[in-house]
Amino acid sequence: MLLEAIDVTKTFGALTVVNTVSVSLNKGDILGLIGPNGAGKSTFFNCLTGDLMPTSGRVILNGEDVSMMTPEQRAVRGLARSFQVPQTFETMSVLENVMIGAFLRTSDPARARRRAYEVLDLVGLVDVASAVAGSLGTPGRKRLEIARALATDPEILLLDEAMAGLTATEVRQAIELVRKIHQTGMTLVIVEHIMEVIISLAQQVIVFHQGHQIARGTPQEVTRDPAVVTAYLGKRAAANAARGFAGDPA
Amino acid sequence: MSMSLLQVLIGGLMLGAVYALFSSGLTLIWGMMNVVNFAHGDFVMIAMYVAFMVWKLFGGGPFMAMPIAAMLLATLGIIAYFSLVRHVMKGPMLAQILGTFGLALLLRYGMFWTFGANFQSLPENLVGGTYDLWGIRIQASRLLAGTLAIVLTIALHLMLTRTSLGSKMLAVAEDSTAAQLMGIRPDRMQAIAWGLAAGLTGIAGALIATFFYISPTVGETLAIIAFVTVSLGGFGSITGALVAGLLIGVIESLSGYLIGAVYKDIVVYTIFIAVLWFRPQGLMGKN
Amino acid sequence: MKRSVWLLLILALVIVYPLLFTTPFLQRLGALVLLYAIAASAWNIVGGYAGQVSVGHVVFFGCGAYASMAFFTHFGWPPIAAVPVGMAASVGIAALIGVPTLRLSGHYFSMATIAVAELARLIVTNVEALGAAVGLSGPVMPRTVFDLSFTSALPYYYLFLAVLLVVLGLTYWMENSRIGFYLRAIKDNERAARSLGVQAGRYKLYAYMISAGLTSVAGTLYATMYGFIDPESGLGILTSVKILIMAALGGAGLLFGPLVGAAILVPLEEISNNLLGGKGAGLTFVVYGAIIMIIARFYPSGLLKLLLDRMAAAKPAPSDKQVRDVA
Ligand SMILES: Nc1ncnc2c1ncn2[C@@H]1O[C@H](COP(=O)(O)OP(=O)(O)O)[C@@H](O)[C@H]1O
Ligand SMILES: [Mg+2]
Repeated sequence: MLLEAIDVTKTFGALTVVNTVSVSLNKGDILGLIGPNGAGKSTFFNCLTGDLMPTSGRVILNGEDVSMMTPEQRAVRGLARSFQVPQTFETMSVLENVMIGAFLRTSDPARARRRAYEVLDLVGLVDVASAVAGSLGTPGRKRLEIARALATDPEILLLDEAMAGLTATEVRQAIELVRKIHQTGMTLVIVEHIMEVIISLAQQVIVFHQGHQIARGTPQEVTRDPAVVTAYLGKRAAANAARGFAGDPA
Repeated sequence: MSMSLLQVLIGGLMLGAVYALFSSGLTLIWGMMNVVNFAHGDFVMIAMYVAFMVWKLFGGGPFMAMPIAAMLLATLGIIAYFSLVRHVMKGPMLAQILGTFGLALLLRYGMFWTFGANFQSLPENLVGGTYDLWGIRIQASRLLAGTLAIVLTIALHLMLTRTSLGSKMLAVAEDSTAAQLMGIRPDRMQAIAWGLAAGLTGIAGALIATFFYISPTVGETLAIIAFVTVSLGGFGSITGALVAGLLIGVIESLSGYLIGAVYKDIVVYTIFIAVLWFRPQGLMGKN
Repeated sequence: MKRSVWLLLILALVIVYPLLFTTPFLQRLGALVLLYAIAASAWNIVGGYAGQVSVGHVVFFGCGAYASMAFFTHFGWPPIAAVPVGMAASVGIAALIGVPTLRLSGHYFSMATIAVAELARLIVTNVEALGAAVGLSGPVMPRTVFDLSFTSALPYYYLFLAVLLVVLGLTYWMENSRIGFYLRAIKDNERAARSLGVQAGRYKLYAYMISAGLTSVAGTLYATMYGFIDPESGLGILTSVKILIMAALGGAGLLFGPLVGAAILVPLEEISNNLLGGKGAGLTFVVYGAIIMIIARFYPSGLLKLLLDRMAAAKPAPSDKQVRDVA
């Protein structure tokens, strides 16, 4: 098991935002986390990355309990992430942004630069390598975040809504990119609230609603789950859907 | 407890109340928009000079000086907000800190240039003499300053927690984008906060001037005291500032009495370092 | 012209300056520019590169200055021999301030730097062994050349220049190595940096300790040149202000920013002091306050950056292809 979360709960004051959620991933898996806005996906995600400490529960990375470790400690152990709202180094160039990631595995600037170019090539940002990150638009920044994370040579990559705010074409390109990264053997956790993205990428999906995990399974299974449809579309649509699916064994 | 110790204690509480009053403005601004006003102590200093001039020109005491200083400083605060703070607060940390620090120097050495480096003070009996209550001697000026300061600090707290203006300000502090969506104008609320915080330094300055030395550089000392108070009280917390201010006033007065006047600032600054090391979230903050 | 040619030209000018301008006033002025450039360049490492605004850097300056004068007074050491002592004390104080505050928001750090500098001044003012309010003096007559006590400013000029080159060399090396990249990343976005494995608190602390150690060398050099130190000159807030404003005016986070700032402000201050006498001191700092506000409001990245941007705008930027080939 590469990454495992056991009964992770996160509360802010009296508000329970993540309620005893568990996941487990093997090497090479793609796990999708979906759910409507405010469901607690990012909060759970941040408990995995160390940006937040879980109120209770444990996070195990490669057999090691990392629940109380800082983000930088987890990064060293092979966990990398992107942010829902892009957090690029605005005054640095695209190349330099990626070099910061590459420096995790080497202290030699020349090697970091070479590694950064490899990654920029993979994500298709080579042409803007010397542009200032602050000059990129949203799609560029999201790509840059992925590149930066990849440059740390992670074992697992966590993407928080890497496709939000993208046009249909850009989403398709981004899906291609994620496939390409997966083909290199990468393990991925992707958070999305666009169902289509998850369906086309993930092998296993967990559905969040109001902090709870309300369904898990393959994309096909969860999209047929009445609870999921209710959460997404409201009760009436769920009733219609249930009627439509009547006779379906799922 | 000996009478003189009790006397020092009460004097310290009164002084501490004034510390709490001007520190509450610093903590309000810090909590609300994540800006530390490095000129805060110098605002108090300006108000002390206002009190000095009011006495010199009109022979007036704190009741005349307070409204004048409050108006003047509130205006200064609002001007500082619109012409400087609003622009630097979104920039890099360097700009933010340099902005108010530059303002501090401008005010401090502007006064130095105008009034010279000499220490001034108001006449001892401007407010009234010294009372003798059951053998405890207490200056009327301190009693007035302390009582008013406590009342005003509590009033500020109530204003923030009980009025609609207060809840709008807290909403901006919480999440200024969300507040804007609810129809609150963050800019206006922040300007009001600056006016309020600076106005309070005006009152605090006019009060403390009745029993404290007045000099162009006193602002630096007062600023550090406000830093200690705010850190000890937990940033953003008015009630925290009140408790911490009183505590620091007492500690300062006691150490002045027990170890010697020159060491009282040393003790207070050392407490600051200790707080940062051992209790950075402040006395009241959760771990 | 290429950058390196420019640099060599400027270096040559700096080297011949005191030979061209031989009056004692101008030589001393040159030496002072270099001295403040050392201190401001040292500040730049933590304030400019790491983005942690120290407003109490004089405490390190004071460590260096007081160490040299105290070890001379009590043990007869040549003032310059106390450099390691001053550096060690500075690094210790930097840890005292930095360890607790550099993991909090930057405000705590700035507030703590002011408070500790003021604390140091108050303590020293009350310690007889450190000369209390009166201060300490160096050798009246040079015993050996190692006392570095000269009447002409010329030897100081070249001594300061050598030290400045070392400081700038170190900064340049840092700028181009991992720590330099990390510091810029932390300054831009600490959370993102940490997500990439950057131990932000630790790197900020390193920058602060290096900066503190180098600033103390400037303090020692100051004391050797003046042969005297007191709480005001060695630990007063105005020296902090000078250090910081020179770096910020020239360009915080740029290698040559502090030097540019010092070259502008030191002559200004000397001239205003000469013209206005004692009254000038107050006015100088009024102007400094105004300059600091204007920088913060309009040019937070400083004059040199403004100039470089103008020059870059004048000629077309290199294409990515070229950049890649160069890299
Ligand atoms: N720091 C916080 N303090 C209080 N509430 C929070 C905090 N962070 C998130 N929340 C709340 O937790 C809920 C879940 O947020 P989030 O995890 O961002 O959802 P998602 O990513 O699924 O859209 C939201 O209602 C949000 O307001
Ligand atoms: Mg989210």
